[in-house]
Amino acid sequence: MTTIEPILEGRRSQPDQLIEVLQDVQKICGYIPQDAMKTVARELGVPLMEVYRVANFYKAFTLKPRGKNVITICTGTACHVRGSDLLIDQVKGQLNIEPGDTTKDGLITVECVNCLGACALAPIVVQNESYLDHMSPAKLRKIIDHAKGKKKKEASDAQVQS
Amino acid sequence: MIQTVTLTIDGVPVKAAKGASVLDAALEVGICIPHLCHVPFLQDTGACRICIVENVKNGSSRVTTSCTLTVQEGMNIQTNSEKIRKLRRNLAELLVAQAPNSKAIQDIAVRCGVKEVRYPFRNENCVQCGRCVRYCTEMWKANALGFVGRGKNRRVEFPFATRPDFCKNCGSCTLYCPMSITPCGGPMKRGEEHLCGKCESQAVTAPNIIGACTRCELGKGFSCTRHML
Amino acid sequence: MRKFNHSSDLEGFRQELLEERKDITSTIIIPNGTCCQAANSLAVIKAILQEIARQGVDKNVQVHLTGCHGFCEQEPMILFEPGNIIYCRVTPEDAREIVGRTVKGSEVIERLLYTDPVSGKTARTEAEIPFYQAQDRQLLQHNKWVDPRSIKDYIAIGGYRALVKTLDSISPKTVVEEVRSSGLRGRGGGGFSTGRKWAEARSAPSDEKYVICNADEGDPGAYMDRCLLESNPHLIIEGMMIGAWAVGAQKGYIYVRNEYPLAVQHARLAVKQARDIGLLGENILGSSFSFDVEVARGGGAFVCGESTALMTSLEGKVGEPRPKDIHTVKEGLWNRPSVLNNVETWANIPSIIMNGSGWFASKGTKGSKGTKIFALTGQVKNTGLVEISMGTTLHDIVFNIGGGQKNGKAIKAVQTGGPSGGCLPLSKFDLPVDFDSLYEAGSMMGSGGMVVMDEGTCMVDVAKYFLKFLQDESCGKCVPCRIGVDRMLEIVTDITEGRGTREQITLLEELSETVAETSLCGLGKTAPNPVLSTMRYFADEYFAHVDEKRCPAGVCKALISYDILDEKCNGCGVCLRACPHGAIKGEKKKVHAIEPQLCLKCGICITECKFDAIAVG
Repeated sequence: MTTIEPILEGRRSQPDQLIEVLQDVQKICGYIPQDAMKTVARELGVPLMEVYRVANFYKAFTLKPRGKNVITICTGTACHVRGSDLLIDQVKGQLNIEPGDTTKDGLITVECVNCLGACALAPIVVQNESYLDHMSPAKLRKIIDHAKGKKKKEASDAQVQS
Repeated sequence: MIQTVTLTIDGVPVKAAKGASVLDAALEVGICIPHLCHVPFLQDTGACRICIVENVKNGSSRVTTSCTLTVQEGMNIQTNSEKIRKLRRNLAELLVAQAPNSKAIQDIAVRCGVKEVRYPFRNENCVQCGRCVRYCTEMWKANALGFVGRGKNRRVEFPFATRPDFCKNCGSCTLYCPMSITPCGGPMKRGEEHLCGKCESQAVTAPNIIGACTRCELGKGFSCTRHML
Repeated sequence: MRKFNHSSDLEGFRQELLEERKDITSTIIIPNGTCCQAANSLAVIKAILQEIARQGVDKNVQVHLTGCHGFCEQEPMILFEPGNIIYCRVTPEDAREIVGRTVKGSEVIERLLYTDPVSGKTARTEAEIPFYQAQDRQLLQHNKWVDPRSIKDYIAIGGYRALVKTLDSISPKTVVEEVRSSGLRGRGGGGFSTGRKWAEARSAPSDEKYVICNADEGDPGAYMDRCLLESNPHLIIEGMMIGAWAVGAQKGYIYVRNEYPLAVQHARLAVKQARDIGLLGENILGSSFSFDVEVARGGGAFVCGESTALMTSLEGKVGEPRPKDIHTVKEGLWNRPSVLNNVETWANIPSIIMNGSGWFASKGTKGSKGTKIFALTGQVKNTGLVEISMGTTLHDIVFNIGGGQKNGKAIKAVQTGGPSGGCLPLSKFDLPVDFDSLYEAGSMMGSGGMVVMDEGTCMVDVAKYFLKFLQDESCGKCVPCRIGVDRMLEIVTDITEGRGTREQITLLEELSETVAETSLCGLGKTAPNPVLSTMRYFADEYFAHVDEKRCPAGVCKALISYDILDEKCNGCGVCLRACPHGAIKGEKKKVHAIEPQLCLKCGICITECKFDAIAVG
């Protein structure tokens, strides 16, 4: 794993940097690969078990690659009271996946988060790091359609090129 | 010379080595505090909560695990109050409903006075006492096992769920697992789990002092410290 | 920038800044926090800047991007100073008119002013808006003058003067005394006396001590800490520095939630800026005091808001709490004495030092001093951050500041304290909000979330929601929290799905007591609060679910059914397209019908139907 070398620079043999290092691995790789965990364990001087435990414990880390689009539904109290459950139902019905999963074509990952702290504008959905306020199932449907639609367009573009 | 402190456990003055835990101090003098995750020579984590006691201070009391509580001069501990018995019974009920297929857990339920289980039984084979994990990491420094995940999904696992090559094959993890002793009548089938309770007669305590240890048979089941030392 | 070597350097620099800025005639303030960005403030800012460049304005007009201004419901906002004019819900399309008429022509655009939904009156200035009128904004007032990315702004408004005062003339012991006599109590939820905590840490013998800022604001429905750290990071750093001086710490940590990327960014930048000018580092301002701060990101775990879990997490490990028989002020981070305070607690320190403990203690109630920020959200008209003197009643907050009910359904409860707190019914709305009265009523101050609930909210469902949250966020180390909370959820789920019995309610109560008494950490000890408080105040709702198999609020899916009303449905087909489960059938222009086997009662059709043709029974 040459790609995570720069992350380890200046942090070798510092076990307390484990979470920070894994954050950066997550950012660069999009998830925490097994090999990266082994490298991190070796370089920081942390037992592999501990690295595996940390990667599993914190929500910031995913052990599977995520889709191209990540849709995060906030399920904080304010969002719940204003109907974030409906948004989850919408996703389940439209994409046929459970929160935490990725569609088979690898296009969309749906996740839930326990509060993003933008409660006054509830319910909140985050699509690839941009925050969307006052969401409704209908708005979410369009967003998902759009995310799926991109694929069709790309596919047709590819056909044109070939 | 070992420095000692004097504390009161269940109204009896007890001398204990400075730095010892209240649980060890009580067991030493034969006061029975039931316990599950505590194992001598391993670090106590206070995970199973079975060994709870009341720490009475200035008229008010705090419920805390005796394995993680260090003895202090003048401490006043209640191990067997009405409140503690009730809480302990409820905790044991949760445990036995989770893992009825372990004689050790069934024995703890008997010792803690569980008469009925008010939750639907589950048939899990781990109560996460962490004995295996601590043996592996502390005693053998192998770090081949650990708690993975959190909340409901927390489990004991190898890294990447496969036995690593640095596992020393010592076998401690199974040896000290309270699940490794099956109930006398054989494993209970799914849907047929029940509170056994047959060993109730063995939960003998000394007639006059409630909670005094008589090295009863039950302790063998859950490897009570008094049977291990 | 240059480095300051003496305490007088800072004041000199401040005078220079004021001199530099004296010609500024007017300021356009655009709040740009996370919530503002969610409401599209970035596009508004871009449009305004483009228009300014296109139309050309006086060079003494300054555009100021700041943190959150609190009234999140009305974002994006623009404020104009002097004049205190405030525009609400601005869109990029308004930019041209705003720059043309207001910035260049000093004219107020009526259309963009705030109209009070209660009285129907239009407010020109911030001071005329009822939402702001009833508040006492001590901590939040600075936000509009400070660009969180500029240390100059903070110094210009008098920032770091409390630090200078401390280093110049107040001994550590006196600082601790001052904080203790101010009566400040921890804003994170526990309400422990900050002064006492500091005194204990100060007396702990160790050559290495730490101060930690807990910005792991995991309570769903609360975001005061995010807002403070994001909008005014130097205020927090200054507070921590004073604390470090008082207890004798050399190193500080700000532990920020992973879900708050902007707060992490701003905090890191602020630390760097402070280091660059010598406010952090060795021999600060020429004194003997050396101190540095590091910003650490959390990994996304609610339990890390608990002090011991947070410290374990800072050490780079799994954030499991440890038994607290020895306090963290004696043995905390790396087993050294550590003072952990919440963001808002730290934010209060500089003003206590500047204005004196008497000033702070003059606000609030007997047992709870000062002001407190709440995140007012849920089914209420005005949502946002509300800073009030302790002792303000719930009624004042929900109805006077919040403007009352939102969707035509009567307000019935307010949830305070997040998953550790409880739900208080309307009959308790005359309670003064402070640590002790909320605790006595079966809830908790918590970090300050306040979620308003109306007749459309099922209280059993709320209890279930929090149990689910806690079951998910519990670290799973101890039996009562891992298994107990799970069993509680099992029982409450039974109740919401129509399988509940009276015996189960009794069992739920007994189990709640066990979990509260025997759990290892604060998360488990307070976990039963949402259940206990809803059982205490909304017992009739529990009994309706158990005895009549009925959900009074029409929320619990197993107990309700959906029907399309023939007389109202005109066959427009909107619901048919909206239903993600394909449960609605019907021809165009003809009455539609719901197939009960396919219907998952998600309620999406209800939100979509414009004719109220779908009824819940």
